[in-house]
Amino acid sequence: MNKRFAGLILIFAFLIVIPLQGYAATPMETVETGVNKVLKTLSDPAFKAQSKDQQIATISTEIENVFDFQELSRRTLGREWKKFNAEQQTEFVKLFKELLQGVYADRLLAYSDQKVIYDKELMLKKGRAEVQSYLQTSDGNKIPLFYRLTDKSGSWKVYDIVIEGVSMVKNYRTQFKEILSNGSPDKLLEILREKSKKG
Amino acid sequence: MSVDPVRKALYIVAVAALFVVFCGYAPAGEINHERLEPGGLLAQQTQESANDQLATPRFELLAQAAQVKEDEDDKKDEDVDDDDEYDDDDDEYADDDVKLISDPLIQANTDMYNLNDTLYFAVLKPVARGYGFIIPEELRVAIVNVFYNIRFPVRFLNCLFQGKGQKAGYELERFFLNTTVGFLGLANVAANYPHLQLSKEDLGQTFAVWGIGYGPYVMLPFLGPSSVRDALGRLGDTFLDPIWWIPVDFWTSVGIRAGEAVNETSLRIGEYEALKAAALDPYVMIRNAWVQNRNKLIAE
Repeated sequence: MNKRFAGLILIFAFLIVIPLQGYAATPMETVETGVNKVLKTLSDPAFKAQSKDQQIATISTEIENVFDFQELSRRTLGREWKKFNAEQQTEFVKLFKELLQGVYADRLLAYSDQKVIYDKELMLKKGRAEVQSYLQTSDGNKIPLFYRLTDKSGSWKVYDIVIEGVSMVKNYRTQFKEILSNGSPDKLLEILREKSKKG
Repeated sequence: MSVDPVRKALYIVAVAALFVVFCGYAPAGEINHERLEPGGLLAQQTQESANDQLATPRFELLAQAAQVKEDEDDKKDEDVDDDDEYDDDDDEYADDDVKLISDPLIQANTDMYNLNDTLYFAVLKPVARGYGFIIPEELRVAIVNVFYNIRFPVRFLNCLFQGKGQKAGYELERFFLNTTVGFLGLANVAANYPHLQLSKEDLGQTFAVWGIGYGPYVMLPFLGPSSVRDALGRLGDTFLDPIWWIPVDFWTSVGIRAGEAVNETSLRIGEYEALKAAALDPYVMIRNAWVQNRNKLIAE
């Protein structure tokens, strides 16, 4: 009797959940599957055996499924974005992407043995959402790691990461602004090129 | 050299005097875009900052005009839409946090930053690494926990100063749990309870809640980024800190703090390096990250 009841509930649960998942990934699902996939790749022995260039290529495809670098770059440059011509914009997106991928992969790897808790997702205005996750550190503390997403491109993509209240987009915006206040877009691109060469 | 009560009292008076002087020099309105202040205060601050900047010679006239204009725009927008900080169509917003904190001492700060950076790589990091090599991680984490637990009065009192009764209660609960079950704070037992998470209340935050602005940004020797308000808060906090009251001489006290710093650093090697590697301008990156983080702590 009890068992049958439990079975019924299960079936109902599936009936409700399955169509939702088939429809479109929620922001939280997007982040969770994306991050898990990257983490899995990073800890894969076959991946570790690859050359650095191969590693970057593998990781960048995976990160690109989760991040919207066009949107991220545009938001980071803010008003300055319009001062870049189309060609400069394309190069900026490419270079900034390389820089961030390196940092993000490196940090993910450093924290890969720590538990990630996906807490909740908040819907913000104008097709934006925030996924709140926490890194559980070895000393029992939680580091808040929030992802900001937009559905501009048709599916949810990350455009900003906020760690302990520090927005990456805002942080880089300040730095870019400083460079652009005494230099041209070309100057900024040059600095980014140097940076990516050192990689 | 033992610390006698008279010297302590003098110290407190000196801190109070310094605080009054500095905060008079750099009014709260310096921070033009502090989103996290209550609404009424913000409007008032914006007005103040406009006045203040017009009277301040360190900005060029043109920049001033632009800034004042931006303040007005921001104020308008904030009334309509509170948390829409990266609005798509309105790029005015995109630049709102560039000057979160004023930095008139930028030259001295940059020098101090470079010194701290050098000291980190030349002294602190190698020492912390050697220390970490000898002492197992579990013990190092336990030491961090003990220090955190001992500093309970700082957090508890600051919760009270800010009128956060419930949070003060949680602090008390956490302190009891970790001191008893956690054996004098060695184990962070409270971590298992979601409501007993770390809450880093300090005097700087208390001042912020009381409506005092950051004042100029300052890079402190050894201690890193801060502001006039928060540096004085830090100094004030040492009086609430039981470690200060331990009857040992000055250099032992400094030694304890240095040891604590080495212990903490040993658990965080690589973090600063990664941040620095990712930055185009590490000085600007740290200044901005510090203020963003600070705003979050104040809002909590």
